[in-house]
Amino acid sequence: MSTTPADSVRISARAAAGSYLTDGVTLRSWLLTTDHKRIALLYLGSITVFFFIGGVAAALVRLNLVVPQGLLGSAESYNRLFTLHGVIMVWFFLVPAVPVTLGNFLVPLMLGARDLAFPRLNLFTWYLFIAGGAITLWALFVGGIDTGWTFYTPLSTMYSKGHVVMAAVGIFISGFASIATGVNFIVSIHRLRAPGLSWYRMPVFLWSIYSVSVLLVLATPVLAITLLLLAAERLFHIGVFDPAIGGDPLLFQHLFWFYSHPAVYIMILPGFGVVSEIIPTFSSKSLFGYKFIVWASISIAVISFFVWGHHMFVAGTSVYSAVLFSILSYLVAVPSAIKVFNWLGTMHKGFIRFDAPMLYALGFIGLFTIGGLTGLWVAALAADVHLTQTFFVVAHFHYIMVGGMVSAFFGGLHFWWPKITGRMYPEMWARIAALVMFIGFNFTFFPQFILGYLGMPRRSFSYLPEFQVLNVFSSAGASILAAAYLLPLAYLTWSLFHGERAPANPWGATGLEWQTASPPPTVNFVETPVVTCGPYAYPPPETVHQRNV
Amino acid sequence: MSSTVAHGFQYESASYQAQTAIAGMWLFLASEVMFFGPLILTWIFSRHWNPVGFDAGGRETDLSIGTLNTFVIVTSSCLYALGVQFIRQGNVRWMILCCSATLVLGLVFLALKFGVEWPEDIAHHLFPTAAHFKITGSTEGGARLFFIFYFVATALHGVHMVVGIGLLLWLIRRAGRGDFSSGYHTPVIVVGIYWSFVDVVWLTLYPLIYLIGRGP
Amino acid sequence: MNAGMIRVLLVWGLLIFLGGTEFFATDLPFERCWRPLIMVPGVLMVLVVVIGLMEVRKGPVIVRAFAVAAMFWLFVLLALGSADPLTRTNHYVPDAHVK
Repeated sequence: MSTTPADSVRISARAAAGSYLTDGVTLRSWLLTTDHKRIALLYLGSITVFFFIGGVAAALVRLNLVVPQGLLGSAESYNRLFTLHGVIMVWFFLVPAVPVTLGNFLVPLMLGARDLAFPRLNLFTWYLFIAGGAITLWALFVGGIDTGWTFYTPLSTMYSKGHVVMAAVGIFISGFASIATGVNFIVSIHRLRAPGLSWYRMPVFLWSIYSVSVLLVLATPVLAITLLLLAAERLFHIGVFDPAIGGDPLLFQHLFWFYSHPAVYIMILPGFGVVSEIIPTFSSKSLFGYKFIVWASISIAVISFFVWGHHMFVAGTSVYSAVLFSILSYLVAVPSAIKVFNWLGTMHKGFIRFDAPMLYALGFIGLFTIGGLTGLWVAALAADVHLTQTFFVVAHFHYIMVGGMVSAFFGGLHFWWPKITGRMYPEMWARIAALVMFIGFNFTFFPQFILGYLGMPRRSFSYLPEFQVLNVFSSAGASILAAAYLLPLAYLTWSLFHGERAPANPWGATGLEWQTASPPPTVNFVETPVVTCGPYAYPPPETVHQRNV
Repeated sequence: MSSTVAHGFQYESASYQAQTAIAGMWLFLASEVMFFGPLILTWIFSRHWNPVGFDAGGRETDLSIGTLNTFVIVTSSCLYALGVQFIRQGNVRWMILCCSATLVLGLVFLALKFGVEWPEDIAHHLFPTAAHFKITGSTEGGARLFFIFYFVATALHGVHMVVGIGLLLWLIRRAGRGDFSSGYHTPVIVVGIYWSFVDVVWLTLYPLIYLIGRGP
Repeated sequence: MNAGMIRVLLVWGLLIFLGGTEFFATDLPFERCWRPLIMVPGVLMVLVVVIGLMEVRKGPVIVRAFAVAAMFWLFVLLALGSADPLTRTNHYVPDAHVK
C-alpha cells in the first residue's frame, strides 16, 4: 500500500469556523439538540452518574463482606445493595455505555454522514433514558428492592416487600430508548454510508454497533413484555407464573433470560468493536482477518439468542434441554476466540505503542479471555451444578463486564477523547490509571474464583469464617479499583480546561472520523467524503519500522 | 418531483428519506413482533401444562363479537390501503375519507371489545383474579390462565390500537391542512404499515383466543 | 379505480375467504394436541396482509430483510422456548389445590 491513510479519503480540508461544541451555548441548545455529537455528551454525563451510583453500591457490598457475619448487620440492606448495584450497572451503565456515547458520536462520522437517520428520535431516547433512570433510582432509594437484578418469581411477584413494580416501570421505559437507538443505528448503517463505503470497507466498530443494534431491537422487547407480566402478577396477582393455578415459574426465567443473555452480548459487543479500532492504530498495522472479525461479530449476535437456557441448568428444566443449551453455549465461545486470535495477529510484527488506550485494550484481551474461558467451565453441566450460585459465576461475569467491557469503555473514551473534546488528556496519569485498574481489578475478582470454587454462595450477606481472608483481599482490591476509576474522572475533567489542543489525527489512525477536525464541526464533514479503499489502510510493517526508528 | 420537497440534511433526496422512514417503521415492527411473541410462548406454556382447563376457558369467549371484530379490523386495514392508493393519485379528499372510515372502524373495534365484551366477561366472573371464578374444580386453574392470556393480550393490543387511532387523527389533521400530495405522503404510508401490523397481531390472537379452545 | 385499488379489494376478499376457512375449521374434529393447526389459515392471513398491504414489495430491500428477520426470530423464540415444556416431566403434586 503506497498511500498514507490521509490520502485514502478525498475531502476538502478547509476547517469550518467553530465546532459542534461552540455551535450554540445556551442550555436550550443542548437540551433540544438533535446533533448526534451533543446527544452523545448528554448521555456520557448521565451514564457517568449512574456508574458512580452503581459503584458506591458495589463498594458497600464489598465493605459488608469484610467480616463473616456481614459488616452492615442486615441481610435486607445487603440484598437491596446488590440489587441496586446490578440493576443500575446492567441497565443504566453497561447496556447503554458504548452505543449511546461512542456509538452516537462516531457512527455518523465513521459513515461519512452528517447525522443519524432519525435525529429527533435520538434526542427523544435520551429523555426516555433519563425518565426511566429517574424512576428506577427513586424506587431503589425510597426503599429499594431485594430480588436481585434477575427478579425471579415468586419472590418478586409474591413475597418481596420492595418497590418491584416501580423499578420495573423505570427499566421498561429505558428499554424503549434502547430499541429506538438500535433502530437508528441499523437504518443509518444501511442507508447513510458515504459514496465508496461498501460494507466490507466499514471499520469493525460499525459492524459491532450493527450487531449490538440487532440485539437491542429484537431482545429488548422481550424484556418489556416480561416486566409487564411481572408487574401485572405483582399488582393483580394474576398467577401466570404461579404453580398454584397451573402457571409456571420457569416461564418467567425463560422469558427473562431470553432477553438477558443477548443483553450480556449487548454489553460486550461494542467493547469488541472499540478494541478492534484501538489495536490496529497502536500497532500501526492493518487488522488481521477483517472478514473473520466481522462475521464473528454477526455470529455472536445470532448465536447469543440460542443459549439462554444455560442460566437455568439447576432450575428444573429437563436434562435434554440443558444438554442442548450447553452445546450451544460452547458454540458461542468460538467466534469470541477467533477475535482474540485476530487481535493478537494484528499486533504480531506491528509497531506497538503503549499509549493509555492500548493499555486498556491489552488489559481487555487478557481479562476478557479469562472471563470467557471460565464461562466455558460454567457451561459444562456437571461443573455448573457445583459452581452455580457461587462467587465463581460472579467472578466470571465481572471479568467480562468489568475487566473486559469497562476497560474497553475507558480505552475507547481515551482513544476518541481528542476527537470528542479537542483536547489531549495527560498521558502519564492515564497510563497510571490503566495499570492501577488492571491491578485493582485482579485483586478484587481473582479471589472470587477461588471462593466460588470453595463453595461460597453469592447474594448472601454473611459467610463461613474460613472464607474471610479471600474476602478481605477482594475488598481491599475493590478500594484500589475505586481509586483507578476516580483518577480518570479527575484528569479527564482537568483536560477539558487545560489539556493540550488536539490535532485532527493525533494517533495517526485510519478512519473517516480522523479526517475531520477535532472537535468536528456540526455538519461533521465540510464536503461528503468519498471512500476509495478499505479500513485500516496502514503501510506494511517494514516501511513503518523504517519510518519510526 | 422530489427536488421541490424538503428533506433532512443528511439525506440525498426526499424520496431516499421516505424509503428510509419506511425501513425504520418496519424495523420497529420487528421489535413489536418480539414484544407480542413472548405472549404466544405464554399461551403455549399455559396450554401445555393445563390442556383441559385452558380450553375450558377458551369455550367461554364470545365468538360472535370476536369474529365481528376480526371482520372490522380487516376491513379497516383494507380501507386504509385504499386511502393510500388515493393519495398516490393526489386525491386528498378521498384519502381523508378512507382514513376517517378506518378511524371509525377502529373505534367500533374498541367499543365492541372494551365496551361490550370485557364488561360481559367480567360480569360472567371470568376475570382471572375473581374470587368466585365461573369455572370451578380441576379445570379452574387452566381456565384462569386462559383468561390471564385473554385480558393481557387484548389489553396490550387495545393500547396499540389507541396509539394507531391517535396517529390516524394526526394524519387526518395534517391532510386537512394540505400537507400531503402525490409527491409527498410518507407519513400516510408509514402509519398504514403500523395499522396493518395492529391488524396482523389481532389475526394472530383471534384463533388463539376464540377458535382453538372450541373443540367439538 | 386503478390497479392498486383492485389489488386492495382482492386482498380484502382473500382475507374474508381465509377468515371463513379458519372459522369453519373450528368445527373439524381435531384432537386437542392438533387443534393449533387451526392457526394455519390465520398465518396465511397474516402473510396476505404483510405482502399485500405493508409495502414489503415497494420499499428498499432491507424492508423485506426486516420482515423475514422478525418472523425468523419469533420462530426461534417459540421453538427453542418450547423445548423445555416438551422435554420436562412435571410431577403432579396430589394436594395442590386452587384457592
